[in-house]
Amino acid sequence: MAQRAMWLISHEPGTLLRGTVRFSRRYPTVEKRAKVFNGATYMPIPEDDPFLKALLFELRLLDDDKDFVESRDSCSHINKTSIYGLPVGGEELWPVVAFQKNGMIYACVPLVEQTLSPRPPLISISGISQGFELLFGIQDFLYSGQKNDTELNTKLSQLPDLLLQACPFGTLLDANLQNSLDSINFASVTHPQKQPAWKAGTYKGKPQVSISITEKVKSMQYDKRDVADTWQVDGAVTCKCDLEGIMPNVTISLSLPTNGSPLQDILVHPCVTSLDSAILTSSSIDAMDDSAFSGPYKFPFTPPLESFNLCYYTSQVPVPPILGFYQMKEEEVQLKIAVNLKLHESVKNNFEFCEAHIPFYNRGPITHVEYKVSFGQLEVFREKSLLIWIIGQKFPKSMEIGLSGTVTFGAKGHEKQPFDQICIGGTAYLKLHFRILDYTLTGCYADQHSVQVFASGKPKISTNRKLISSDYYIWNSKAPAPVTYGSLLLNHPVILFILYLSLQM
Amino acid sequence: MLRWHPTCHNYKDLTKSIQLSTGGIWGEKAKKKKKSPGSGTGWPQVFGGEASVSRSVLGVRAMSPVIRRALPVRTSAARCFPASSRLVLAPPASPRPAGLRDACRPAAGPKAKGPACLTMGPPSREAWAQRLSAFRASPSAFMAGPEGEDLGRDLLSDLRSEKLNEQTKVSLLALSLEYPAQLWPDAPAAEAAASSLLDTLVLLPPRPSALRKPLLLAATTALVAGGALGPTSGASLRLLPLLLGLASGRDLGRGFGPASEQRPLQATACECLRELESCQPGLLGGCLGLLRGLLGQEGAVGPVQPLSLLLALALRNTLVIQARAGAGLQGLLVAGSSGTGGSPWTWTLAEEGAAHLQPQAPSWLAAEEGECGLAALEPNPEEARELRAAVAQLLDTSYLLAPVAQAQLLWLLGWALRGLRGQLPVLFKTQLVRLLGTAQLTLLHAVLALKAAFGEALFTAQDEDLLLRRLTAAAQHPAVPPPAHLFYLHCLLHFPENCPLGPTGEEAAPLLLGPQLCRGLLPSLLHDPMALLARLHLLCLLCAEDEEKEEKGQGQSPQLYLEDLLAGLRQRAALDGAPRALATLCFQASYLVAHCLAGQPTVMTALTHGLVQLYRDRPVLAPHFVDLLDQVGPELGEPLRVALQQEVVARPGKDEALRWHLQMLAKVADGDAQSGTLSFLQAAAAHCKDWGLQQALLQVCRALLRAGVRGGLADLLQALAWQLEDPDGRDHARLYYVLLAHLATPKLQVALGPSLVAPALASSLVAENQGFVAALMVQEAPAPIQLSVGPRRAEGPIPVLQLQVEVLEPVYSLELRFRVEGQLYAPLGAVHVPCLCPARPARPLLLPLQPRRPAPTRLDVRALYTTLTGLTCHAHLPPLPVTFADLFLPFPQPPEGTELGFFEELWDSCLPKGTESRLWCPLGPEGLEALVSRHLEPFVMVAQPPSSYHIAIRLPPDSRLLLRLEAAQADGVPVALRTDDWAVLPLAGDYLRGLSAAA
Repeated sequence: MAQRAMWLISHEPGTLLRGTVRFSRRYPTVEKRAKVFNGATYMPIPEDDPFLKALLFELRLLDDDKDFVESRDSCSHINKTSIYGLPVGGEELWPVVAFQKNGMIYACVPLVEQTLSPRPPLISISGISQGFELLFGIQDFLYSGQKNDTELNTKLSQLPDLLLQACPFGTLLDANLQNSLDSINFASVTHPQKQPAWKAGTYKGKPQVSISITEKVKSMQYDKRDVADTWQVDGAVTCKCDLEGIMPNVTISLSLPTNGSPLQDILVHPCVTSLDSAILTSSSIDAMDDSAFSGPYKFPFTPPLESFNLCYYTSQVPVPPILGFYQMKEEEVQLKIAVNLKLHESVKNNFEFCEAHIPFYNRGPITHVEYKVSFGQLEVFREKSLLIWIIGQKFPKSMEIGLSGTVTFGAKGHEKQPFDQICIGGTAYLKLHFRILDYTLTGCYADQHSVQVFASGKPKISTNRKLISSDYYIWNSKAPAPVTYGSLLLNHPVILFILYLSLQM
Repeated sequence: MLRWHPTCHNYKDLTKSIQLSTGGIWGEKAKKKKKSPGSGTGWPQVFGGEASVSRSVLGVRAMSPVIRRALPVRTSAARCFPASSRLVLAPPASPRPAGLRDACRPAAGPKAKGPACLTMGPPSREAWAQRLSAFRASPSAFMAGPEGEDLGRDLLSDLRSEKLNEQTKVSLLALSLEYPAQLWPDAPAAEAAASSLLDTLVLLPPRPSALRKPLLLAATTALVAGGALGPTSGASLRLLPLLLGLASGRDLGRGFGPASEQRPLQATACECLRELESCQPGLLGGCLGLLRGLLGQEGAVGPVQPLSLLLALALRNTLVIQARAGAGLQGLLVAGSSGTGGSPWTWTLAEEGAAHLQPQAPSWLAAEEGECGLAALEPNPEEARELRAAVAQLLDTSYLLAPVAQAQLLWLLGWALRGLRGQLPVLFKTQLVRLLGTAQLTLLHAVLALKAAFGEALFTAQDEDLLLRRLTAAAQHPAVPPPAHLFYLHCLLHFPENCPLGPTGEEAAPLLLGPQLCRGLLPSLLHDPMALLARLHLLCLLCAEDEEKEEKGQGQSPQLYLEDLLAGLRQRAALDGAPRALATLCFQASYLVAHCLAGQPTVMTALTHGLVQLYRDRPVLAPHFVDLLDQVGPELGEPLRVALQQEVVARPGKDEALRWHLQMLAKVADGDAQSGTLSFLQAAAAHCKDWGLQQALLQVCRALLRAGVRGGLADLLQALAWQLEDPDGRDHARLYYVLLAHLATPKLQVALGPSLVAPALASSLVAENQGFVAALMVQEAPAPIQLSVGPRRAEGPIPVLQLQVEVLEPVYSLELRFRVEGQLYAPLGAVHVPCLCPARPARPLLLPLQPRRPAPTRLDVRALYTTLTGLTCHAHLPPLPVTFADLFLPFPQPPEGTELGFFEELWDSCLPKGTESRLWCPLGPEGLEALVSRHLEPFVMVAQPPSSYHIAIRLPPDSRLLLRLEAAQADGVPVALRTDDWAVLPLAGDYLRGLSAAA
């Protein structure tokens, strides 16, 4: 269970090599073991340059896909995980764990403690999940709170020292690099009590606990007879516990109002010490009924020093917060559009902001717009072929608003106009962006009085919650739209689906 | 207190090193004593000018033996000396001879030059930064360059330089942590480097320093990576007690830094020990008790995580080794037991049972294979109790470990105890609920490993169901990053079920994972390619099951959904200007479906239609179609090929996509629907203006030739031969026509078949160079034929060689051609054999010889033959010797009773033209009679066995050789010899003398 090497590569389209190795680390003692374990199938770790080339090719980041290349484009060359075999110098380096996020490519090569031919199933290689955690940990460290390139560079320059702490010999000791940074900084003294490895030191100061619940709502609305609309809520509970003592115990309970939607698929932070089996088994897979466990959801834990996500959940709320339709029709040289949005009466009508983005893909720039809105105002981004309908803080009393108009486009050809692989012809969507503070769709809340803290001093407890939209799509009902399997199961009244969209915005 | 080991002085290349004492704390003194070099009390300045080098050498004399050890010389200084004058060292303990002082000075060149060179300081921070980045850019190139050789030495010496700050030194150590094999490539160098690193560590001033931790790591890395770790390595024997001392929190004295550094160093020491144990399993077998004691300590305690992981690894390794050796635990787990045995290092255990890191049996799915688990260990009740206590101790505190470390612990323990039933697996149960609740990839993966290791002993059917549901939820949970989703999906398809059905190793949906559970895991067009393919695979597995169950249609059937999805993918791929990745995805999905659902004709039919439509929309995807046809089985391949052929030939043959149509047709054309194909080609020919298109057209003709199309094709080729604009194209068309007219179909197929040597290229020209040359020209080949000379015939008017022929593979139309060196024989005719097979013995081949002189020779042999694959080959066989005796022929037998007279007549006729000789023919133990009967039987004219024979031999073309063998004795026989050809005499002599040897 160890890593042989790891790399951070920034993807730089348009440059000669299309990328730069920003950081790499090799573990020679692990390499020594790999040589023995892999036997005749052993392949040494290549130097940075050939690795970079091979990886960018495999990830299709070399921008040279004009011609069919069998080793990359063959139909039998199928990758179903983020684990690759890289051809380097006529041999294949496998397994290479790699993924791209925010323009950075994260890669490592886990040790496989047996021969590589035939390839053992990934599930049997302990280093795979460790490699992922290492890379996720680095990604979290690099991008948590990071705002610009200077900060990124500072964090990159801290990596060698941090990995000396968190992964000195290729075996990952802690994926939380911030914790490693803290433990470097904390003056360490001998502790009378056993201290968790994930807590570098102890807090000194005024005790306080803050709990924040963020719910995201996704939706796919079609306004079609044969396709069901879908929506889903997922929530995250973030805590920051500033409490004295090495292992203070805290219990946080999440509650629902009487008509609240039960929390499901609950994943907790590893610091949670025990879980009610009702929490563990509450799953979105099962059909909902009244007998479903509806809390309170108790989470006893010993908090780490830093802010952490106590738990994540999903939920199936009975109605989407905003229901709408979008009709778009091509009429000669122009598009005729009509949008109608209705806020559900149960939803708090007090937005931080609410906007509907209406993009037009695979067309030229907007040359002319004629429109009528019943509420709010419309902004036109001609070059980007985008309309933004700014709805503002409140829906009107009727809770229903509309937009209609015609849009004319110029000739296609500019690079600036967006290409999209889904919005072809009439297939189009509008996307809602909104945020409501001090509100959750499930009704979930953390009661200040239900927070139990077993530590010296009475802590100040603060809670907040918010609902934000995420991937909230309303598809043009006058043309085909991409559907999920869930949308087609019409005999299920409430349908869950989970997707993460790869639409290029 | 630590002790220096005198064995540290094993530098290989002493001419490059100076034994001197060094250390930051003495540098100051050296500066003060600068005016009295060699006084014996001044400590040398380590780096710097000539003066310091010579002083340091002199310093050795008075140095305390405690701190006398090897240190490499500053190379920039060393390089300033001519090679011949490099410093030479005496053994460190002996006083240096006085003359050495002079030897240390530059032997040649003006004296002024030396100091100028040598006063160069150690590389500055910037210089090192440059050097390190140059190295990192390409380690191999740097090491091959001029600076490469010195890097390792410079690095070690500059770690003690006072001019470099700690940060630079940490970066030097970081380099040594990554590239020890480049810096110190062999075991002696690694050993010396580790020693030097340990020296540097010990010499650090007792204030806080960032160097202690990396120095420990670097020394460990150097020893392991250099292969120097072992009981005879001095550095190992210094490092190990140091690490164990630190790990157990013993007070190692001021030298090891302030108290605040003890705890991090304790953790580091544990990590170093763990790495040593990983690379030398069993090494810490004797420390198990000690480690358990440390972990269980009350009061001021060490860091839990490093100790837990170290104990778990040592325990795992010990259990595996002891189980393999069939030995018990021998009280290894009891605290203090190691103290009695003296050294805690179990080098013997590390070497026992071939434990030197052998590739392990796959640790996965080994629950059933009791042999590698503890089953072989059979601990007695006492041992079992201790083992249980140790495992419980580790699990109880596991909550205190970072999640990734918890996962490691579980993997290690699961591996160590796998296959066991009863109380031990149950110990894990208390952890499971907590672990199942988390979103941590490593923890869920570790739970799966426990599942694989213990199966039903730890997971009931309900537990298994819960685990599957958690896994399913994690594979789609919005809070889990996409790469982890995909890994969970992989885990679902390789789920270690309690009661698996079907073959192991194949991807399959677990039995409990029904359509209901999978609903959220099905693909949609909105997924990224990897997620889509992974989920599509699951969907295909569901469709396969669906087909078996004939499920009644509740909602939409998975199969219809699949077809819609594929249609969506094709629509995207058909988009004009869409990136190639979209096309690739579409074809990968089609391949996956064809692979999983080949047995479902409805799916295949829909897929075929869809793909043909895609080709119609976007012929530019032809290379993808060709690739798909190459990869899929006949269930999709055959109908798709036929449909595509029809699709292409239905085109007018003049659109922009002609190039793609021709490429497509070259793949799909065959004997069917030839009239359509030919008329398409005829129409297309008019539009093939450039060379590339003409070649593409000819490729199709080639494919038709191979498919055995003849009639209309001949007309087309004839037309092309004058119609095409490009002369190359015309030539090829003509060539194809000629081939078509002259070769039978099978031969044509071989001639045009794909070359075995290299993949066919787009140009028919190149393809021909591979195909035709192979098929139509004679190939030079290693002979699969062995030829040898059989027994002599000695009859008839001329000598005839009997050839034995053997073949290693079937050979047809064999023609053997012989050539005689020189003009000794008349030219020989070829021998023809229609067919030879390895299994069937061939009749001997007869080769008549026509000597012009009675002399031996060698025949040069060449073989021309056809192989099973239709290739004509030419091989050069080893030469065949024709001996003197091969030419012997008997005289016609005279009428009975006249033999002696006839012989005497012949005898007399030899002279005076010829010659006479006498010689001694030695005889073996068998005597004359046996000799004659074996070699000369056919030529005996008068015989009086056993002592007298008259022998007459005819030597073509017209010579004779007569022998009288009379009055044989025990050891030989005198031979009287006459011949009418004096040139034969020496040959006959050699022959006779060789007879006894041959016997």
